Amino acid sequence: MKNKNKATKFPVARIKRIMQKDEEVGKVAQATPVVISKALELFLAMIVKEASNVTVERGSKRVEAYHLKHAIETVDMLDFLKEIVEAVPDPSAGGTIDIEAEAAERKKRGKGKDKKGSSDANGGEKPAPKRRRRKAADKEKEEDEKEEEQEMEVEEGREEEEDEAENGGRSRPDDDDDDWEG
Amino acid sequence: MSDHETGGIPSDEDLSLPKATVTKMISELLPNEVTCAKETRDLIIECCVEFIHLISSEANEICEQESKKTIAPEHIISALKRLGFESFTDEVESVLKDHKQQQKDRERKVNKMEQCGLSEAELLAQQEALFAKSREKFLTTQQ
Repeated sequence: MKNKNKATKFPVARIKRIMQKDEEVGKVAQATPVVISKALELFLAMIVKEASNVTVERGSKRVEAYHLKHAIETVDMLDFLKEIVEAVPDPSAGGTIDIEAEAAERKKRGKGKDKKGSSDANGGEKPAPKRRRRKAADKEKEEDEKEEEQEMEVEEGREEEEDEAENGGRSRPDDDDDDWEG
Repeated sequence: MSDHETGGIPSDEDLSLPKATVTKMISELLPNEVTCAKETRDLIIECCVEFIHLISSEANEICEQESKKTIAPEHIISALKRLGFESFTDEVESVLKDHKQQQKDRERKVNKMEQCGLSEAELLAQQEALFAKSREKFLTTQQ
């Protein structure tokens, strides 16, 4: 077993703030976040162990998101984490995406920078969507169609960030306007 | 709570655990040949934060059931048991014991200072005298 550096600890004040983010939580004794820090250490060790077991089982050298997801779905104690990994695609099954969960997740995280991994996996799911890619000028029309495009919302949002890179690659003929009338 | 936080204090919404700290801990836990993807690390951080919320929420309920206003470490321990994390409680209780002992030692130190009846100046003078004495001893043994 690796020699654990005893100096690496979770920030106690930060833990207290995270606790008090919950409106129900009132006063917290000084020793309490210290105790939670220890529990957190043990929890981290457990979750990393479970995930890395999956990694090794699958013959990989890097712990991927779906290894973590598999571990969470397998271990009862980790039930409460299912929502967090819901959006992670499992490559072997072809990946089912829960769009709503993903949308909720993105709202929580704000702009996720390392999402490229999962977004690329999703890209293979559906055929290249026929969508207009208009900028500021047609924003109004775009908003009207937001409801119809609810499904695509997630991908669109993400792709707006990667616009420069992706635009060249995909063919998006503007002639498809007719499909979206009314 | 004295806690040196480098890298600024996050606003309420972005409240999370420090990436560098977690990254280091993860790499210490993994076997030598295995690394962790960035995406996975970020997910793990979210899981940790969720764990804090889970335990805090349960502990808060227990606290209320006991008609207490402040969440005590004992509530955390009960919460861990209730949520299926009994395997954690031994080490957690040990940490609590150490912490209480440290607190006691700190108090004892303060009391000792107050009770010895000497002012700070007098104590300093005593300290200087001790230093001088040991310095002398050191010099004589050198020769």
